[in-house]
Amino acid sequence: MNLHRFKEQPSMTKAAKPASFRGASKYVLDDELAKIVNVSMALEMPLLLKGEPGTGKTMLAHAIAESMGMPLIILNVKSSMKLVEALYQYDTLTRLNDSRFGDSQRDVSDIEAYIRMGKIGQAFVSEVRTVLLIDEIDKADTDFQDDMLDVLDQMQFDIIEIDKTVTARHRPVIVITSNAKKDLSDPFLGRCNFHHIAFPDPDMMRLILDVHFPKLDEELLGACVRTFYRLRELRGIEKKPATRELINWLRALKSDPDFRPQLLQQGRIPYLGILFKKSADLFQAVQQLGRGQM
Amino acid sequence: MFVEFFYALRDRGIPVTPTSFLRLHKALSLGMVHSLEDFYTTARTILVKSERHFDGYDRIFANHFRGLELQEPTTAELTEIARALLDEWLKDPGEIARALGVDGEKLQGMTPEELIKYFLDRLREQTEAHHGGNRWIGTRGTSPVGHSGHHPGGMRVGGQSRNKSAVKVALERRYRDYSQDGPLTERQMAEALKRLRRMTPSGPRDIVNIDRTIAQTMRNAGEIEIVFDRRLTDRLKIVLMIDNGGWSMDPYVNIVRTLFHHARSQFKDLKIFFFHNTIYSRVWADPQRYFKPEPVEDFIRRDPETRLIIVGDASMAPYELIHGNGAIYADQKATGASIDRLKFLARTFRHAVWLNPVPPEEWEQTWTIGVVRQVFPMFELTLDGLEKAVLHLMAKH
Repeated sequence: MNLHRFKEQPSMTKAAKPASFRGASKYVLDDELAKIVNVSMALEMPLLLKGEPGTGKTMLAHAIAESMGMPLIILNVKSSMKLVEALYQYDTLTRLNDSRFGDSQRDVSDIEAYIRMGKIGQAFVSEVRTVLLIDEIDKADTDFQDDMLDVLDQMQFDIIEIDKTVTARHRPVIVITSNAKKDLSDPFLGRCNFHHIAFPDPDMMRLILDVHFPKLDEELLGACVRTFYRLRELRGIEKKPATRELINWLRALKSDPDFRPQLLQQGRIPYLGILFKKSADLFQAVQQLGRGQM
Repeated sequence: MFVEFFYALRDRGIPVTPTSFLRLHKALSLGMVHSLEDFYTTARTILVKSERHFDGYDRIFANHFRGLELQEPTTAELTEIARALLDEWLKDPGEIARALGVDGEKLQGMTPEELIKYFLDRLREQTEAHHGGNRWIGTRGTSPVGHSGHHPGGMRVGGQSRNKSAVKVALERRYRDYSQDGPLTERQMAEALKRLRRMTPSGPRDIVNIDRTIAQTMRNAGEIEIVFDRRLTDRLKIVLMIDNGGWSMDPYVNIVRTLFHHARSQFKDLKIFFFHNTIYSRVWADPQRYFKPEPVEDFIRRDPETRLIIVGDASMAPYELIHGNGAIYADQKATGASIDRLKFLARTFRHAVWLNPVPPEEWEQTWTIGVVRQVFPMFELTLDGLEKAVLHLMAKH
């Protein structure tokens, strides 16, 4: 296939189908990540994203889908999941039901009528190129991970029941996320491009908030971001507040008519429960703030 | 091209594979890289597979490309890398063929000598293309991609990286924090400890065995018969002994608490005991080490298959460990040196480990750690260490 269509040309950006990823309406993209996404697409390799919760790993896939105008298919990995579930399902129950009661239009002798595509299968049979997000791969066991990469490598799998091979019409853009500190297996890593999304710095965070709250008061924004980063530095917190919490917190502050940004400077922080979601963390935060250790 | 860089990475212990190196060249030949900044990002995403190595990558990159002219690799180096490629090829031919973008069938027919020559030619080709004026990488970085800052279609570029050279970015060492093993969180502990479970069938028969149900139903010519199995439960016994006294353990209170908390929720049959610095004639079941003493001799009556995990810094004055009356508490009628008690425990429980929150680099500095290590296999109290300890505990001795 012609790989050069991924090469960015200024004249192409206005075309109906954008050729390379340049960010989306609700997603703030840095240069580095844009480059990585484009390289991964050009090399046709899955992109493995790691990073602490709230750094926008999942959002990136949404953003790619939006900006490239491709449908997004999400596979939420669960710990008990078998690979075949992600590929296809043979709906034996409906077939049994049909064979007993026979009130449907389906032909019971045709097993294919009872095969349903799983998420990976859907991405393969789709008429157009899709973005396939495989979320939280670390939840599954190593076998699942390696077998899945085999399927994604070969871009095909077999449906055993009807002895048919499903081959991908278009190679999907694959984004895989992982929360684990632990490394995935070597063969798995060998087949992926890798990026670790660091937690956004305050400047970046302002840009992100700017996207979500376009007309936010500069004073409020500054005070909130400063407070937020101070709160992240409190000791002994197990789940630090992340971007999502900050956005929700801001939403709450905005809707509170009694709130003034000056309160934050005085160390009086309302709605701490939005930022700290574990009771032990909230307790810790309240204690440390009470002692004026900010 | 960049063979030296590749080897610099390898030499510093960053696991880069020849396959990924080839892939990087493919990215270069696709015209994806127009500046050193692009190269920095592209090479990292393709070569480095863990954020723990990002910091190492940054340092090597900065070192390698700061004021440095790219030199042509020598034939010897090329031969080295071609040989490494051959090794990879033997492991997985399809992978290499794909990375090179050639037909696997074609390579299949070659002898090893021909393969080496083929790889060599490919590598040379890349080198020549670079020097022939086809600039894959330029330091002036007038890239049409990414860095230009014009982003129609609603793209917002954050950060200030545009004005910084890749070398500067690398010198910032943004990933320094990730290069060390981060502190343990509960979830990671759970992951590591989960492996310690040994499932054996017991309890009521209430799990449907699908395979046998189908087989049985077929034998009955379609009359459904459901087969139940016993539930799996964990029968593993664990004894956890924690050093909870003395200032030397103070810095590690949080991490030990996390382990303790998590061990509780993971294992049904878990006994926790406490001691101070080292073990004399008894340990205590209460953290105050007062109300519920447990003579160490009595442990011989426990199941020898019990897994014994001792958590402590093993740092103390030498006499506490070696001397017959070394106990630092007057009420402990010491009979025999502590080291003999430890040896007794190690004999009683074949599966025993010592977890030490002190980083391994410092183990050499404390004499008693060395002595204890001769008795118990010692692992550091990090995710890595915990996993190794669990492996050790589950190994058949």
